[in-house]
Amino acid sequence: MRPLKIGISWVRGVVGETLTPELLVDFACAFGTFVDGASVAVGHDSRRSSPMVHAAALAGLQSCGCSVVDLGLAPTPLVQFAIRSSRLAGGISITASHNDAKWNALKFIGKEGMLLNSYQSQEVMDIYHLGEFRKNPWNSLGKVQGMADMSERYFDYLLARLDVASIRKARFKIVSDCCAGAGAGLIPAFLERLGCKVIRLNDEPDGEFPHPPEPNVRNMKGAASVVKSVEADLGISVNADADRLGFVAEGGNALSEEYVFPIVADYLLDSTRGPVVSTLSTSRMVESAAARHRRKVIYARIGEGYVVERVLGEKAAVGGEGSGGVVVPKWNRWFDAFSTAGIVLQCMARTGATLGELAHRFPRYYLLKGALPSSSERTYPVLEAFRKRYHENSPNLEDGVRVDWPDAWLHVRASNTEPLVRIIVEAEAETRARDLYDQSIDQIARVQAGRGNE
Amino acid sequence: MNKVRSLKISISGVRGIVGDTLTPQLLTAFAGAFGTYLGPGPILVGRDTRQSGEMVGNAVFAGLLAAGCEPVDLGICPVPSIQIRAAEVRSSGAIAITASHNPAQWNALKFISAEGLFLNGYQADELLDIYHQRSFTLVPSSEIRNVRRDARAIPGHIQRLLRYFDADLIGRARLKVVLDSCNGAGSLAAPQFLRALGCRVVEIHTTPNGIFPRDPEPTPENLTVLRKAVVQHRADVGFAQDADADRLAVIDPLGNPIGEDYTLALATLFVLEKHRGPVVTNLSTTRAIDDIAESLSCPVIRTKIGEANVVEEMIHAGAVVGGEGNGGVILPEIHYCRDSMGGMGAVLQLMADHRKSLPQILEQIPRYFMVKQKVDLPPDRVSPLLESLERRLAAAGKTKLDGLKLFWPDACLHVRASNTEPVVRIVAEAKSRRRAQALVRETLDLIAQLAP
Repeated sequence: MRPLKIGISWVRGVVGETLTPELLVDFACAFGTFVDGASVAVGHDSRRSSPMVHAAALAGLQSCGCSVVDLGLAPTPLVQFAIRSSRLAGGISITASHNDAKWNALKFIGKEGMLLNSYQSQEVMDIYHLGEFRKNPWNSLGKVQGMADMSERYFDYLLARLDVASIRKARFKIVSDCCAGAGAGLIPAFLERLGCKVIRLNDEPDGEFPHPPEPNVRNMKGAASVVKSVEADLGISVNADADRLGFVAEGGNALSEEYVFPIVADYLLDSTRGPVVSTLSTSRMVESAAARHRRKVIYARIGEGYVVERVLGEKAAVGGEGSGGVVVPKWNRWFDAFSTAGIVLQCMARTGATLGELAHRFPRYYLLKGALPSSSERTYPVLEAFRKRYHENSPNLEDGVRVDWPDAWLHVRASNTEPLVRIIVEAEAETRARDLYDQSIDQIARVQAGRGNE
Repeated sequence: MNKVRSLKISISGVRGIVGDTLTPQLLTAFAGAFGTYLGPGPILVGRDTRQSGEMVGNAVFAGLLAAGCEPVDLGICPVPSIQIRAAEVRSSGAIAITASHNPAQWNALKFISAEGLFLNGYQADELLDIYHQRSFTLVPSSEIRNVRRDARAIPGHIQRLLRYFDADLIGRARLKVVLDSCNGAGSLAAPQFLRALGCRVVEIHTTPNGIFPRDPEPTPENLTVLRKAVVQHRADVGFAQDADADRLAVIDPLGNPIGEDYTLALATLFVLEKHRGPVVTNLSTTRAIDDIAESLSCPVIRTKIGEANVVEEMIHAGAVVGGEGNGGVILPEIHYCRDSMGGMGAVLQLMADHRKSLPQILEQIPRYFMVKQKVDLPPDRVSPLLESLERRLAAAGKTKLDGLKLFWPDACLHVRASNTEPVVRIVAEAKSRRRAQALVRETLDLIAQLAP
């Protein structure tokens, strides 16, 4: 199994194995050719391999004549903001997001700071496969220049849109865990500008991830215990490039990352028109938020590129995924932990509700997520088995197999980012969720053992 | 065909045209091969002022980082400064990003050992084998280092030069120098060095922007601006560097180039007057070297063409000075590298020591006329040519170390195949211009006769 994955808007691999500097230069050249040598932005997360990936990306882009606004160590949303605010043709964010430390990736960003959509990504891949890249002569190569104040400019931009006075008045005490990622230093700085008192955990961006850089309940244990011991109002945990986040409620109760999107949606729908864009793997909680405001929920494929594209196409109020990524289109064109945190703090400040209270407004669902290794040749038979098994339930086949019952749903799909099959089950009753989940795991194991539906 | 020729991968490195053959992919792969060859450890990277240097540098960093090396970015600096720094700090080697005297669209990687020497033939062969086998070391993420910066290469180099030369003596002579650095890497080092020696310096082309105001090769036809400036400013001497500041051409106060071979002749005189010892130079360099050495009872050892060959022999023979006739002076007390600034110091201190002008010093050195020519000739026709030359011309002495070199009491003739192009190079040197020209003409006639 080759740990190299090429998906919508990115190429991702294991450094030292598949993500070689030559491959990276080729992909940077393909992207530089795609934008016709226009000016772009580049930033990277704190992974140990990022300097290598960064140098390769700069060399490739420069050779295509792309001048580079180099943000250095920067969260993906900052790269996206730089592209949008400086009207650049696009950019590359160097980060494998929530993948563990051995991975890295190029995330391709287009105009307006949006991740490339599937058509644009296809074009980049076509250029890559053709191997015919722009080659600018020696006197028109791209130049690299730094830009130091981008984070302050982004904070100014967001603060001008938030009810800063109310948030400051609330004087929140917040535990922040940036997992030694690109958000380190910046998430606390942003919260402090909102008048919060911040207890900083893992705030040195050295890429030595103290836990997997995915803000789920398991990885928020550390933050949760600190929230409890210092009696903080909440905890915020972000992934390695700070586009997604998870929350710990008062008392040290780590909330599932599934709560982020419904909490933000519920609050925004009070004041924003338009439907909600979700994905087939996102908790039904967001449906209850939409129902409360009599809004439609539209389902996009999983992945920021698909969600944001759909949000703009449908003129949606908000879009997001169960993984803690939320896009607020009136402000941004990307998933962003900064604006998401700001909105939730504003909601708490204005309504006086605690995070736990906000979470309890949603019906209680039991959600189980898992993933099993699966090579590409095994994945199709697995999905096919699920399709057959649930044929009677008319499953949605847009992205893997999604089956709906009145009290539950099940989604099985191939991961975009790793050689895995992902299973997600949600039900009103815990036993029901557990049953569906166990059955699914058994099913996959049977197919992989070559025994199919028994 | 043109495209094939604009990429040269040889023992002296990889060289090509940016925007054409010298792609970032190729550069990254070569850096990966070098990192694989050296193993983990710090590798210094310096560059001349070419505008493509930054892109080339990034491609090199990517390849080195992926192989687990720690690139140390020296920024823009002369090649000798890179070599000196490589030997001075704990490094496993260095890469110089420079196409030396080639025009601006070219760039190149030159590979340097931990001792600060260019890779010799065997080392370079091994590097090329690794490159061609394409199985480079790729370390896991946890072992990837970061690029470190080091701004000490130029100051360290200048410090070393100032310890070697007698700045007080030179300063008292109040010499006026016009310097032409071709907007190359020398711009950042030579003006400072010359002022530290107490010279009055007129700078031309010392903006390190990589826009070459002339062809960077410091040959007489490329130095017209400098020649005029030397006369206009009534300077004692004019100095011209190439883009990476390893080669030096010297202009006399009348605006005449003294000839690149005589750069080494002056340096040889300077060194041997201080310390007697062996001199090493290549077979094509002027006989004036032999005359100077003989007058001071020192031996001269001749080697094949190429800096690596000269340096190797210098180390072996314990030479006190050496170099090549293209203006590359090697002062081993500073470092085993061609260093234009070492050459400048030698010329200036010689003038100060003797209290004489440059023309007066040159009068002491026997003058030879040198005629150089290159002719297209396929490699398979070279050895029949050399055989018949040997038969036809009755010489007093000969050597076949590199092509064929014939000697007479008043003249010599060196004919050899080029290392880089399908041509033969003919160099004749004699006491009279006419004799030198005649030897070249005779060789050309023979080539015409041998043509099928």
